[in-house]
Amino acid sequence: MNEILTLLKPRFWSFKNGGYAKDAGNRKLRGLLFGTLGLIFWAGIFIIFYRVLVYFQGVADFGDILARKLMSMVIITLFSLLVFSSIITSLTKLYLSKDLVLVHSMPVSTSKIFLARWFESTIDSSWMVIIYSLPVFLSYGVVYKAGLFFYAIVCLTILPLCLIASGISALVVVMVALFLPAGRLRTFFVFLGFVLFVILIMAFRLIRPERLVNPDAFTSLILYLKSLETPGSPFIPTTWIFDSIQAALTGMMKSTVFDLILTWSFTVTLIFVITWISGVTYFTGYSKAQTATGRMFPSRGLSGIRSAYILNHMSGPTRAFVVKEIKTFFRDQTQWPQIFLIVALIAVYLYNFSVLPFAKSPIGIIYLQNLFSFLNMGLATFVLTAVAARFVYPAVSIEGEAFWIVRSSPIRIRTLLWIKFAVYFIPLLLLAEILIVVSNILLNVTPFMMALSVTTVFLMVPGIVSMGIGFGAAYPDFQSENPAQSVTSFGGLLFMILCAGFIAAVIVIEAGPVYSIFMAEIRRTSMSMFQWIWLAGSFFLVILLCILAIIVPMRWGNRCLSRNV
Amino acid sequence: MIELKNLTKRYGNTLAVNSVNLYVAKGEIFGFIGPNGAGKTTTIRMMGGVLASTEGSIIIDGINMGDDPEGVKKRIGFIPDRPFLYEKLTAMEFMRFSADLYSVDNRIFLEKAPTLLKKFAIYNWAHELIESYSHGMKQRLIISAALLHDPVVIVVDEPMVGLDPAAIKMVKDMFKELAKNGTTIFMSTHTLAIAEDICDRIGIIHKGSLIATGTTGDLKRDAGVQEADLEEVFLTLTEEQTIP
Repeated sequence: MNEILTLLKPRFWSFKNGGYAKDAGNRKLRGLLFGTLGLIFWAGIFIIFYRVLVYFQGVADFGDILARKLMSMVIITLFSLLVFSSIITSLTKLYLSKDLVLVHSMPVSTSKIFLARWFESTIDSSWMVIIYSLPVFLSYGVVYKAGLFFYAIVCLTILPLCLIASGISALVVVMVALFLPAGRLRTFFVFLGFVLFVILIMAFRLIRPERLVNPDAFTSLILYLKSLETPGSPFIPTTWIFDSIQAALTGMMKSTVFDLILTWSFTVTLIFVITWISGVTYFTGYSKAQTATGRMFPSRGLSGIRSAYILNHMSGPTRAFVVKEIKTFFRDQTQWPQIFLIVALIAVYLYNFSVLPFAKSPIGIIYLQNLFSFLNMGLATFVLTAVAARFVYPAVSIEGEAFWIVRSSPIRIRTLLWIKFAVYFIPLLLLAEILIVVSNILLNVTPFMMALSVTTVFLMVPGIVSMGIGFGAAYPDFQSENPAQSVTSFGGLLFMILCAGFIAAVIVIEAGPVYSIFMAEIRRTSMSMFQWIWLAGSFFLVILLCILAIIVPMRWGNRCLSRNV
Repeated sequence: MIELKNLTKRYGNTLAVNSVNLYVAKGEIFGFIGPNGAGKTTTIRMMGGVLASTEGSIIIDGINMGDDPEGVKKRIGFIPDRPFLYEKLTAMEFMRFSADLYSVDNRIFLEKAPTLLKKFAIYNWAHELIESYSHGMKQRLIISAALLHDPVVIVVDEPMVGLDPAAIKMVKDMFKELAKNGTTIFMSTHTLAIAEDICDRIGIIHKGSLIATGTTGDLKRDAGVQEADLEEVFLTLTEEQTIP
């Protein structure tokens, strides 16, 4: 046990030393910002669940069934999230971390190294899920006026929930690592996870849950509610955990304790089993992970991308970075599933527009269609911001420790940033315009609204891409093992907030004049001089804002990155 | 060819390099030695344009780094101590990347890239991703890429780390050959035997200050140990500086 604790100490000390780091002041500020946002999110979850449960209580006969089913779904969702998150974390902790070479050279048994790493992985993958599941259970406790016993049981059941999810994940990872090298393994699991996620999104969207609020479908809803009463399988840990919490909520002591004992005994057995299996197999898998993976697709030599016509017209340094950016992006297999995910989200996004029930709306169809189209500009650019946060913001950090190549090469940082801007701008512009044009066609909007949306988005996309590159350059993380995660940092958060502000500002500025033009078109009247001036002023302001959104972040990013040496 | 004037670097309150003044002539191999944390890598990184100086100037081939950093970098072949590269490119692609970056003519690239990769014994893996290379192979690739544009100055930090004996001999011979043809080489090293073997002059840096420069003979005279080897000279000089 002492050896396991010793192996965990560097992590604990590193965490503790964070407070004494050079940038301790900044860390406190970031902590405060993230803490406040986290608290708002936590409170939001509590309020939503509280209101939903209060509403359920008002539904005769079915209220408690719905509340029970909701809790069951919450527990299954938490468990699924924990399993997915644990697979990725345990894979990194057990096979890919840089310090593993040092750890494995120490005089400690493989199973102890495994247990220390698994414990670390469990904490890393579970802490956030635990924190954000608490408001859900708190809302149940408040609504059902539960006593301290309920809260104690919640704590005692969430812990094994995390341990079981993490244990199962580690078991899967350890077994699969025997057959696949770790580099491929990550791609495999990330790919699998995203495919499942995409299927889940598509399935959820295609069953059209909005029909449940439609009174016409009430007959089928009763049938649906009846099926809700079906209990979960008695052989699944989530059923024991759900039964234990549910029994504690209704004050059934015996049933609570029985399910709690069942859960904990399974947890302990699972830990024993994974410790034993890891003792036999972990080192073999780890050794295999040291072997370099073969290329998934062989090189096409010097032809291919270099022969592209446009590249031959670029300057040498520009061509060098454009080719490098494109090749490294597509060869990083962890990017592929995320591209599939984006494609799936676009499909769902557009599908939503095709099923909007305009015919049942009491408001005029033309008015509503064009209102949706106008608001869609904000929605599409916000989707684009999320995509930019994942791909554009980490574009500078992705240089990683090879950033010395940029530094020592005869190219200005400003040039590099503009090259990166160009590489990401074109695909993102295409994505945004596809979203806008197709959704406008589905909405059957007026030509004016189509032209307005296409132009506004065309003006906003460069600003969003520039903010992504600029903020990424201002807050680079060249040490990160996974630069894609840098968007969860302070700079990433700032980028998201300011981008949302930029989008909101453009939409708000355009709203008034667009309404005037649209109403004049519908009423077939002409606009007043004041309305024309207002219109010109607003569009001038939008153009100015978009130009500033391009120039200011790029300049700032260039200044910070050049200084940050 | 290389001129450092009052070159200073501070990291917060820590003085890493303290007003270093140095001149290295064309075709000279200058060895830069010093204990761990003396300021060797910091100086080399400033010379490579990877790190900004706090004070002072770096003049290479008559061009001031502060005035025209891109112009200076075009003339330098920079080889860092740790071979971090773009792992998702192949060696040949990295060579092409370097050629484009330094505006090397396509005809010269097609002629030189395979020659250099063959010379450094990585040609057989030229179309494999760099992520599958060993430390030594990456180091050899960096050296190959740094030579592609015929730099007038080579700035190299610990060139032999990770190389096998055959590659070390080859790099040593190559540096001597390049220097004979007029290329200036500024290298830091902990391997005193290599410094003694190939360097025309050696500079010893200690606690950020350049405490001695000259040929091995000059340094022996300064240290008052005529019969000793460079290791003893180094230890004597750095010890003298440490004892108050």
